Amino acid sequence: MQKTRPFHRRKEVVIFLGCALALLGLGGRLAHLMVAESEHYATLAQDLHERERSIKAARGRILDRNGIVLADNRTVCTVSVIHSQIEDPEQVIDVLAKELELPEETVRRRVEKVSSIERVRQNVDKEIGDRIRNYGLAGVKVDEDYRRYYPFGSMASKVLGFTGGDNQGIIGLEVEYEEELSGTPGRILTLTDARGVELADTGESREEPVAGNDLVTSLDYNIQKYAEQAAYQVMEQKQADSVSILIMNPKNGEIYAMTNVPEFDLNDPFTLLPEYLPDAQTEETDAQTEAAGASDAEKQSTAGNTLTGEALQDALNRMWRNGCINDTYEPGSTFKIITASAGLEAGVVKPEDSFSCPGFKIVEDRRIRCHKVGGHGAETFVQGIQNSCNPVFIEVGLRLGVDRYFSYFDQFGLNEKTGIDLPGEAATIMHKKENVGEVELATISFGQSFQITPVQLAATVSSLINGGTRITPHFGVSVQAEDGALTGVFRYDDDRRILSEETSGLMRSLLEQVVDGGSGKNAYIEGYRIGGKTATSETLPRSANKYISSFIGFAPADDPQVLGLCIINNPQGVYYGGTIAAPVVRGMFENILPYLGIEKAKSKETEVKQ
Amino acid sequence: MRAKPGKADGVLLAAVVFLMVFGMVVLYSMSAYNGRVRFGDSAYYFKKQLFALALGLAAMYGVARIDYHVLLKFSVPAYLVSLALSGAVLLFGDAYNGSRRWLSIGPLSFQPAEYAKPAVILLLAGVVSRMNRRKSGRMILAVMLMILPIVGLVGTNNLSTAVIILGIAVLMIFISNPKYLPFLWILLAGSGFLGIFLSLESYRLERLAIWRNPELYEKGFQTVQGLYAIGSGGLFGRGLGNSLQKLGFVPEAQNDMIFSVICEELGLFGALLLMLLFLLLIWRFMVIATHAPDLFGSLIAAGIMGHIAIQVILNIAVVTNTIPNTGITLPFISYGGTSVLFLLSEMGLALSVSRYSRI
Repeated sequence: MQKTRPFHRRKEVVIFLGCALALLGLGGRLAHLMVAESEHYATLAQDLHERERSIKAARGRILDRNGIVLADNRTVCTVSVIHSQIEDPEQVIDVLAKELELPEETVRRRVEKVSSIERVRQNVDKEIGDRIRNYGLAGVKVDEDYRRYYPFGSMASKVLGFTGGDNQGIIGLEVEYEEELSGTPGRILTLTDARGVELADTGESREEPVAGNDLVTSLDYNIQKYAEQAAYQVMEQKQADSVSILIMNPKNGEIYAMTNVPEFDLNDPFTLLPEYLPDAQTEETDAQTEAAGASDAEKQSTAGNTLTGEALQDALNRMWRNGCINDTYEPGSTFKIITASAGLEAGVVKPEDSFSCPGFKIVEDRRIRCHKVGGHGAETFVQGIQNSCNPVFIEVGLRLGVDRYFSYFDQFGLNEKTGIDLPGEAATIMHKKENVGEVELATISFGQSFQITPVQLAATVSSLINGGTRITPHFGVSVQAEDGALTGVFRYDDDRRILSEETSGLMRSLLEQVVDGGSGKNAYIEGYRIGGKTATSETLPRSANKYISSFIGFAPADDPQVLGLCIINNPQGVYYGGTIAAPVVRGMFENILPYLGIEKAKSKETEVKQ
Repeated sequence: MRAKPGKADGVLLAAVVFLMVFGMVVLYSMSAYNGRVRFGDSAYYFKKQLFALALGLAAMYGVARIDYHVLLKFSVPAYLVSLALSGAVLLFGDAYNGSRRWLSIGPLSFQPAEYAKPAVILLLAGVVSRMNRRKSGRMILAVMLMILPIVGLVGTNNLSTAVIILGIAVLMIFISNPKYLPFLWILLAGSGFLGIFLSLESYRLERLAIWRNPELYEKGFQTVQGLYAIGSGGLFGRGLGNSLQKLGFVPEAQNDMIFSVICEELGLFGALLLMLLFLLLIWRFMVIATHAPDLFGSLIAAGIMGHIAIQVILNIAVVTNTIPNTGITLPFISYGGTSVLFLLSEMGLALSVSRYSRI
């Protein structure tokens, strides 16, 4: 057998040294990775291992002007099971089925499903959640969560709006003030394995959520309640399709109440009210010409009232619509306030100017009728307003001419949106100026052939009678922390002059006379000075013989502090605004004025200078 | 005219026992998660490995007791058996993860490629030690040709092991020849061949691209996860059992990538300590090889040194992304029954040689 020779041994040493050198090099490489690049890789690995669970922030509440909570949060629980941590599946199934009032199979399916975490039930009452937690079952997780809760159910539903499952605003103020209300969600960071299963013993780091701010609104719980009661009452009496009432402060644009009955239940917003089934709806939507065809088609496709899919969503959207701002209508005679203001401001008419109404007025080749077939005869401009005489206002409109009329229309802010703090405000639908001839101008002058939103009318009239400055109608007043500490106040433009003080004062006294001795006399309240204007407009198509009755009023007439607008859609029987809408506003004012601390004047006669 | 056998190398034995214990502890830590998730038993891999370890210890003890000279006459038959087994695995083997590498005998499965390594060591030690020195140049070629069949058979579905076998062979031939220059040529020729081999198929070039930017490729996932594990270890590691990367992030943490998780749990110090332990092992093989009474024993020890060194160096190089990814296990630590069985048999062989050391 051969012996080893020196070169054999030398080479073996060479190999060893080579290996030692290689290992040394790798050791260096390792040191580089584990010291110099350690942080880099550790961070990447950390990102990989961490799972983020967010903790919902408590949503800010919505308060009325006196601090009454209109939208609140309720603690609810989400009950989940973690498959890998369950020790006694049978007991877990028993307890959960019993406490959550779920069928056993349902619970069993969830419990036996091999997944990292399985939700058994959401929105469980806190007491039930606490009870389940007290069983101390391994693998059962009870997470607390907030859910929006509206203490007054349907009150101001279309103004407040509601939130979805993720606690995000869907409509109304809930959407508009999402940023203020939502707060900042917190985070729970946990470590997980590659399958996403949380590791039990690694601890967790927590970032606390920041609760949203409370929104203080200009809404007044009591006024809103009166308004809704009054609206429901008149809707029932007149078998109307819907009734809108808007009460606001004409000086600063704060809205005290806005209702569009029927209101829906904010705590159950996805249940369709019977009034909004497509069948019932066809009659109402005639106000919007374009809706007629669509609703006919709908009627056929949804026979049987079991709505699904798109039809249901359409119906829900109709139910959620805030008619005061999302829909436009032909204002009719209430718009004569605008024509009168423009005419007086331009100097084309004076209160004592005399007119003659034979029951119609011929403009170009058209004979435009007055609502009083026999005519009002000889009358002054004051009487013209009191009588709501169409020929008088046609005359004023024609005296102004298209250019001037449009420039006032623009100046009064009617061409722009009011800027109200609710989503989806509809724009004015007006003729193009170049298409307006004398006939169109005549109809515009008494509020027909174009459409505006109720809130636009209320805001514009407010601005015309408040001394002549354009206000921005709004709900949002301020935001405050949960403890009431003010964190922000909203500012709205309110100093744009659109009418001179004198004309504004003149308008107030003219409109007071409408209530005192004219078509608005049903709004009269003994001891209060009230101004206002009625309207009765026929909806499109005219052949349907459907009407919108409305009344806009304000008080006190010499220093308006509250303005009310009532719109009744498709009343049955008597449909004159002065007969059915004016008393609604009177009823409102009878309650509101004392409530707002507005004193009765001692004797009205002595104060009226006219 | 043989000397009486003395005592076996105590340092080697101690190092092996330490590595075994360390390996089992670490293996349990690395494999507990995968065992629990896949088989509902944290100790699943540990138990299987323990069984192989017991077999391996018995084999080590048996082999260490015999006179290694006896094996000279078995060197060729043992090699033929390895050829037969490697051939059989191609025909009857069980596939796992897409590679046909296992032969099943009843409940036991066996990787012929692991057996081929000691078989080749034994064969080359036998052949080279009987070689005519005058014709050594031509003999180099003949010896290379002898091991080509096993390299080819093993390489069919286990390229990494074939490369290891080839590497062991080259090292043993290197020792047998006094010259250095020819081996430089072999090295250059080898690299040239590798370059051509890689560029022939685009998927092999892709492997290079993955190596350079592992995070950009889906196939670089394993490498990237290994680097995350190594990097998050820092100086002292998360502590034994506290790795997060082994929780399914590093795929098959108990296999090829086990070193990365060792880095994560034991830190740079633990990893360097393990590398030092391997170096100690390799050093003992060198001592045994240089003190062997004859060329046969010396080459056996040197072959074993080559085997361990190549696997340790390549494994760590792969895990640290120093070279492109290829599946090589870490001796004594990675999970694998056949591997540990034959590794311990080789240790027995080295111990047997050490008993006959010249002082």
